[in-house]
Parts: sequence; C-alpha cells; structure tokens
Amino acid sequence: MASRREERIPHWILHAVLVLMVLVTVYPLLWVISIALSGGQSLALASLPADPGKLDLLRAVVPWPERFSAANFTAVFRDQPFGRWMLNSVIVSAATTVLGVFLASTAAYAFSRFRFPGRRTGMMSFLVSQMFPGTLMLIPLYIIIVKWLGLGSTRIGLVLTYATTAIPFCVWMLKGYFDTIPRELEEAAIIEGAGPARVFWVVVVPLAKPAIAITALFSFMTAWNEFILAATFMDKEDMYTAPVGLRFFVGGFSQQWGYFAAGSIIVSIPVVVLFLYLQKYLVSGLTAGSVKG
Amino acid sequence: MTRPASHWPRALAGLAAGLAIAVALSWAWLRAASAGGYEERARAEAVGAVTQLAKAVEQAGAEGDAARAALTAWQAGQPAGTVARLVIVSGARLEGSTDPRDVGERAAPRRLQRDEKWAYDQAQRLRGVVMENAEQGFARAEVEVERLEGRYALGAPVRKDGAVVGAVEVDRPAKPPPAPPGAPAALAAVALPLLAFLPLRRAAARRGPAVAAALALYAAGVGGFAAWALRLAGGSGEGVRALALSAALGLALLLFVALGGAGRAGAALRRHRVAYAYAVPAMIGMLVLVFFPFLYGVVLSFTGQTIYNTSAPLTEIWVGLQNYVEILRTFAFRMPDGSPSFYWTLAFNVIWTVTNVAIGVSVGLVLALILNTRGLAFRPIYRVLLILPWAMPNYITALIWRGMFHRQFGVVNYARMLFGLEPLSWFDQPFTSYLTALATNGWLSFPFMMVVSLGALQSIPADLYEAARVDGATRWQQFKAITLPSLKPALVPAVILSVVWTFNMFNIIFLVTGGEPNGTTEILITQAYKYAFQQYRYGYAAAYSTVIFLILLAYGVFQNRVTRATEGI
Repeated sequence: MASRREERIPHWILHAVLVLMVLVTVYPLLWVISIALSGGQSLALASLPADPGKLDLLRAVVPWPERFSAANFTAVFRDQPFGRWMLNSVIVSAATTVLGVFLASTAAYAFSRFRFPGRRTGMMSFLVSQMFPGTLMLIPLYIIIVKWLGLGSTRIGLVLTYATTAIPFCVWMLKGYFDTIPRELEEAAIIEGAGPARVFWVVVVPLAKPAIAITALFSFMTAWNEFILAATFMDKEDMYTAPVGLRFFVGGFSQQWGYFAAGSIIVSIPVVVLFLYLQKYLVSGLTAGSVKG
Repeated sequence: MTRPASHWPRALAGLAAGLAIAVALSWAWLRAASAGGYEERARAEAVGAVTQLAKAVEQAGAEGDAARAALTAWQAGQPAGTVARLVIVSGARLEGSTDPRDVGERAAPRRLQRDEKWAYDQAQRLRGVVMENAEQGFARAEVEVERLEGRYALGAPVRKDGAVVGAVEVDRPAKPPPAPPGAPAALAAVALPLLAFLPLRRAAARRGPAVAAALALYAAGVGGFAAWALRLAGGSGEGVRALALSAALGLALLLFVALGGAGRAGAALRRHRVAYAYAVPAMIGMLVLVFFPFLYGVVLSFTGQTIYNTSAPLTEIWVGLQNYVEILRTFAFRMPDGSPSFYWTLAFNVIWTVTNVAIGVSVGLVLALILNTRGLAFRPIYRVLLILPWAMPNYITALIWRGMFHRQFGVVNYARMLFGLEPLSWFDQPFTSYLTALATNGWLSFPFMMVVSLGALQSIPADLYEAARVDGATRWQQFKAITLPSLKPALVPAVILSVVWTFNMFNIIFLVTGGEPNGTTEILITQAYKYAFQQYRYGYAAAYSTVIFLILLAYGVFQNRVTRATEGI
C-alpha cells in the first residue's frame, strides 16, 4: 500500500498545470470580451503614457476594460447590417445541418450495412477528397454555382456546397459508429415486418444518437464558421454571412476592433453553447469507430 | 455453353444507343456551329459589298453622273431590295440614290431634307472616325454595320483627293439562314444501320461477329451522317471536332452495352438497389460539387488561364505541363526576385505541420492523462474550459491572435515590456512570424487531441492497471505497456487527420501572418490562393494546388501502408 501512495503525483501539481493551461486557453477570449465591452474601437485596452511604468503595463495586460459600455453591441445592430448577416448565417447553417446530416447518415448506413460493388471505391474516394486543396476547388465551384447554376448571392448555393463538402468526414464518422450497432436489432425489426426505411429511421437512427449529434454539430460548425467560399459567392452586402461581415470590420483598411469583438462574441455564443451542450457525445461519437479498429 | 442468341440483343441495343447519342450530339453541335458561322459570313459579305461600292464611287470621282452610274452598276449585282444612297457632306447633298422612293421631286441630286438628318449624321460620324484613325492611329472600324430585323444598315466613307467628302449608305436585306442539318437525315443515319442489323444477326449469332457487325454498321451510319452534314456546314474545323467527339462517345457507349457492361451494371443496380438508394443522394452531391470541381481544377492546371481569358475555350489556352515545370524548376530556396520558391514553401509547410501536430498531440495527451486521474476535483469544469478553443470559430481566434501580436497595441508586447524586454515586430522576421502562427494553431488544436485521448483512456478497463500493479509494474511501465497501446487505435487516425488538416490550415496562416515577411511564412495552400486571387493566374494556381494534392495523396498512401488504417473497410 505504501509504495502505491509514493507513485501518485500530488493533486496540487495537477491542479497547477490545469489552472495554468486554463489561463492560457481563456486569456484571448477574456481579452475579446473586454474589447467588446470597452465601447471603443481600439485594439489596446488601456492607453499607455509615453514612459509607461510597471503598473501601467500591468493595467494594459489585464483583460479588464477601463470603463464598461454596451455601445459596441448596440452599434453593430443599429449602425451595421449585422442582424441581417446573422439571419443569413442562421438560415444557411440550419439548412446545411439538416441536409448534411440526412445525406451523410443515409450514405453511412449504406456503407456500413450493405456489401455492394463500388463500396470500397466510394469510401476511399471520400477519404481522398479530404486531401483536395480548397484553392483547387474554389474556382471550379465558383463557375458551377455562380455561372452555371446561377446561385451566386443566394443561400441555396452556399447550403448545397457546405452540405456536400462536409459529407466525407461525416460519413466516415457515422459509418464507424453504425458498425458498432449490433445487427441483431435490425434483424429483429425486419422479422417484425419493418421495411428498410422503417428499420433505418426507427431502429438505427435513435441508437446512433451520439454520432448523429456530433455530425450535426460539425455540419453546423462548418457552415457557421466558413468564410472564404461565402466571401467568393456572395456579392451583395445584404447577403453576407456573419463571418464575411466580421472580416469586413478588421480587414483591409478598417480597424474597428470594438465592432469586431462584439460581433465575434455574438457569433460565437450559439456555436459555443451548442458545442458545450453536445460535448457529452463528443468522446463516444468521435472515437467509437476508431477504438474498435 | 451459353446460349448464342443472347448476344445479338446486346449488340443491337449498343448500336442503337451509340448511334442515337453520336448523331444527336453531332446534330446539335453542327446546328449551333452552322448558325454561328452563317451570321458571321453574312455580316462579312455585307461589309464587303458596301466597301466595294465605296471604292467604285471613289474611282468615279465621288460626285456627279459618273458616281451615280457606279451606284446603279453596283446595285445590279446585289440581292433584290438593296437600297444605296450617296451622301456628300458639304451642302448636305443627296448626290445619288437607288431608293425607289427617291424619284420625281425627290430624285437625286438634291439637298437632304430635315427627316433625312440621320444620313448626314452618319456621313459626319464616318468622317470623324477616319480622321481620328489618321491622327491617333486607333484602328477603329471605318464601316458602320447595324444588324436590324431581317436586314443590315451599313455605311462607308467616300474619299476624294485623300479627304472624306461623304459616305455611301446601304440598306441590304439579310439572306435567310440556311436550313439546319435536317432531322430526317439524322433519323436515317440511325435507322438504316439498325434495320441492316436485323438480317445480319441471323448470320452472326455469337458475340464476336455480332459486335463486329454492330461496329461496322455504326461506322457506316455515323460516317454517312458526317459526310452529308459536313457538306452542308461547309466543312469547318469546329464541325469536324464536334463530329469526332460525339462519334467517340457513341462508340464507347456501343462497346459498353454490346460487351455486356451495361447488363452487369444494371444487374448490380437491381440486386443492391436498397444500398444504392441510400448512397445515391450523397454520391450525386459529391460528384457534382466535389469530384467534378476537382477534375475541372486539374484540367485548368494544364492551361494558362488568367483573369483576362476566362471566356476563351480551354483548348485555346492549353499549355501542357508548362505550369508544373515552372513551379518545380527553381531548386534554390529563393526565387531570383527574392521571394521564396516552391521548395522553401514546401519545407516550411512540412516544418509547420510536424511542429503543430507534435504540440497538439503532446499537450492534448498530457492534459487527457491529468484529467483522467481518478478523484481529481473540478474535472468537468476544467474539461469544459479547455475545450473552448475548439468551439470558437477559428477565423475569429486567428484574428484575435494577430491583434495580440500587434507591434504597438498588442498585449504580447506589453507583457514583454512588463518583464523589461523590448517590444518586438513579430511579423518582420520569418522565425518570430512563424512563432505567432504556431502559438495560434497550438492553442487551437490541442483540445481535439485531448478529447480523442480522453475518450480512449476512459475505455481502458481499470483491472488492467490493477493486474499490472499486483505484478509490481512501475507507473512508467504501466504507461508503456497498457496506456500507449490502448491509445493507438484512437490516436493514429486522429494524427493522420490532423496532419492533413494542419498541412492545409489556410485560415491561420492567411489571417495571422499573411505570409509576412515577404512570403516566407506562406504555406503551399495560402501561396496557391495568392496566385489565384491576388495575381489572378488561375491555371498556375490550379497546378500549384494539384501538386499539394499529390503530396498529400502520397502521404496518405504511405501512411495507409504503414498503419493499415483502412483495412477491413
């Protein structure tokens, strides 16, 4: 018994490491919040005198604004079309999630349960498609979506693109999870007289809830966070998604850090909340397939 | 022995499908080509006619009876309904006219009337163009052509002693377009070989002869249609290309069906129809929006496309391997102009990937091991806080970090000053610039590895450790013998994925360092983006991207060999 106690690392060391890492993790975020709440557009939280002393510098490093003001939050909605951009993002991301999860889960089910010609080719081609560089796709996608399909500056064009480009990763993840669901459950349902569609919706989908939740989360995040395609497809300012609009605040010659910080917080809250809510599924959803391997 | 009769329906079906597609495609193409060609020829012919008139009038002295005679003589050779007028600028005179309305009181020569001001204006306009061309050397067209409903309105300047004195103005009916390649001929080209095949199949019942007969009849059908259609279209190069392409497509289809490919594909489709029904929606999306754009990009890489020739057909700007040669040619790390070469960027990209994945895995693994300690207080709170970087949109965090490294207002420099150090211009040196991106991406990427490791750690049964402890194994031995092997199945795919992601981590480099200073911290993908969207060299950027893809593919194949990650799929 004594030897076992000696081997343990004291908990206070572990706590020290964790607290340090948490500080590193949280610092940039606190800093954005401070800028957003400072009411100004400056990158610095405190204006330094010409010859700053230690105290002035400490004051500048601590993420705490000199005075609090919600001006940036109200201004992005009142003076900037940020509400409109958020609405675009919400619509695009929600539609992408629904479409992406539907496409990925049906395909993953086929790849997991059936043996058919082209199955291995299909899975490998999904894997290889993860290696396609975005810049190689950007010009052709622009030609297809904007020139041929006429879907430039529309939400449908973005939804179709996001939903399909997220498919490979989602299919791989879901397939791994579907593989771990015992087939006997489906066979039992078939014996009870259920058709293929019913087996899928009533038996498989509810059992795969953790993986589907994670797939939905990733589809949503892909659409919510993407900005290069959105910036390429959307010509009209009132069709921008939130990321394109945010980039607008601190890109090029404008340096409106206050607007950017306030907008960033508004944009991040939904996805952070969703992420933290679904993170209990994260471990099982991500690793179920691979651990078995 | 198989029943010999089973081959001829396949050959016949293949013949029908191949012919139908070949003839239909070439018919459509030829129609479009002949319509376009006709418009161009008719226009050129009209311009030629008015130029010829202007010459004739000039030779006749531009004014007087001789000019009027030249007008009438020219008129005789033109299509019925053509009307020509000769306008002289000085005095705004109508010198001659073949318009049937210009008789009696209105007969030329006379002064132009108020409602004929347009004719005077046109003559003035043409004189202006000619003078401008002489003075400034702009080669603007000296003939005005306007395509109206069913006719052309034309004007050409008339010179006398080197100066423009007036203009001839012509109203000429457009010839009706020629009949397009007719549908009956196309039908005949399809139907006749098919009819010929039916008696033939008695003689040739086995597969080989049936297919050979189908091929011969196919050649006859397409050849006959081509000969007839080309004669009609005037044997243009475009027509030949269109015919050859559609004939090749039809031939491929004929062979596919006749040799049984279609039957086998159909049988597989029927047998596995449930599986295909599930997979097809995703597959269609992938084909249209992932694989097709990819192939199109690869094709672009063999062209010299830039923003200035996007509407040119790809065959006209084809440059073969030139882009690839240009990318891979300079073996030094620096280009002659001082900017980093492909090999510099590649080396930087590899260093970038290796360091980032190493940081992500080590930090993530250590945190996971700590968080997996039994009885540690506040574990859920730590975990939630440590996952935050993953949850935040990464373009936002990238921009924040860039702000934190700002030379004047950045918080990192304030912290340096707090410890008595000089503030640094982080983006002026390649190494410090790289550090900023590394810090950002390290901060972003450890939560993923932490979560994956934590998941794997939690699935290790506790009794394994109990048994090891009973056997007297040390902590390090336990880690090596139990923990690491159990982590491997989860960590290996995660590492492979994160290598690919980090290699192509566009947002961080693009938004944090932006390649500063002077492109040294560019990775391949941001470099390709700059070629495409800052220099507008689309073909070159596509070749650059294809090279990136090949590198990643080579890595993927190698990795797959080593880890056998996709075995048993």
